[in-house]
Amino acid sequence: MHEYSLASAIINQVKQVAREHNATKVNKITVSADPYEMVIPELLQDAFNIITSELELFEGTQLELLRLPAEIICLDCDYKGKPSEEGDKEFAYNFKCPKCDSRDTHLNIRHLTIETVDLEIPE
Amino acid sequence: MTQEKKITVKKPAYLQNDKLADEIREIMKSKDKLFFNVMGSIGAGKTFLLERIAEKLTPHYRIFVINGDVATTIDADRIASKGATTVQINTGGGCHLNAKLIQNELDKINIDDYDIFFTENVGNLICPSAWDVGAQLDIVVVSITEGEYVIKKHPIIFKGAQIAVINKCDLDGLGFNSDTLVEDAKKIKSDMKVICTSAKQITGIDELIAALGIKI
Ligand SMILES: Nc1nc2c(ncn2[C@@H]2O[C@H](COP(=O)(O)OP(=O)(O)OP(=O)(O)O)[C@@H](O)[C@H]2O)c(=O)[nH]1
Ligand SMILES: [Mg+2]
Ligand SMILES: [Zn+2]
Repeated sequence: MHEYSLASAIINQVKQVAREHNATKVNKITVSADPYEMVIPELLQDAFNIITSELELFEGTQLELLRLPAEIICLDCDYKGKPSEEGDKEFAYNFKCPKCDSRDTHLNIRHLTIETVDLEIPE
Repeated sequence: MTQEKKITVKKPAYLQNDKLADEIREIMKSKDKLFFNVMGSIGAGKTFLLERIAEKLTPHYRIFVINGDVATTIDADRIASKGATTVQINTGGGCHLNAKLIQNELDKINIDDYDIFFTENVGNLICPSAWDVGAQLDIVVVSITEGEYVIKKHPIIFKGAQIAVINKCDLDGLGFNSDTLVEDAKKIKSDMKVICTSAKQITGIDELIAALGIKI
């Protein structure tokens, strides 16, 4: 259940951004993650709700998780980008390089990232 | 009156942890210390292996081990009985160690009093992989009694590790088989160091110590 740690990491950083902008409310937080980042959206949302339940700054805040398309790095030819359509049937997460057909590839996992926050700022 | 404003942040959620982990790595490097993060499944033999490693290393080096478990100090006590200094972190419900927990423990000691540091991370093949603890090398331990698909099912944690340890190889052929696990660990990435060990019969321990770059 590391979603709880992730939710508090997000909240801490957003709190700081809100402080920097003298915001009175956070309307929306948009985060992005790789399809292979180990985060369960529902659990993240639950953890987020629990942690922010008493925080006025986060009253009614919408948390949006965008999933990025998978990306690989080929260890044989240095290709970086979308994996071959063939997928990873042969071995979980060992995608095929579309350029040289090698399966010696790494997933280029883009970890959970805070993309934008929509803040309510007094004029 | 208020206005809504969209702020671009573009910062990883793990930022604070990653920064702290980098600081720990830097401090260890500047002091010429080694720091290894031992992860692995529940009951794979992490503690038993660390006991064996401690037996071999403590005559030559001062060893400090940080044990992470949800509860009890059993593991820390076991490794301490082999001559290492140990500390147990009880994570409560937490499924992984993180850089902050490590730093809290390092703050309580004088790093110069030790040569080599280990963590025994919480037994779990999922969560610890995302939380950098500031080690120089990540090691994942699984055992052949967990079935032949345990690596296939948890590739992410292996992707991030440099050494895969297949433990309980004394049971090889006795209804358990190490071949598939060794093959799968190598498939995860070509430069993976795969080492078969038996903490029970003390095999593969020297090879593991050598793979860590430690000379006895
Ligand atoms: N046959 C055999 N048994 C082993 C070996 N290594 C560990 N065991 C046994 O496996 C059980 C678990 O070993 P531990 O060292 O406690 O495993 P662990 O990974 O530290 O477990 P947790 O910290 O609880 O996740 C114990 O009963 C050990 O005696 C081995 O190489 N061979
Ligand atoms: Mg243990
Ligand atoms: Zn390629």
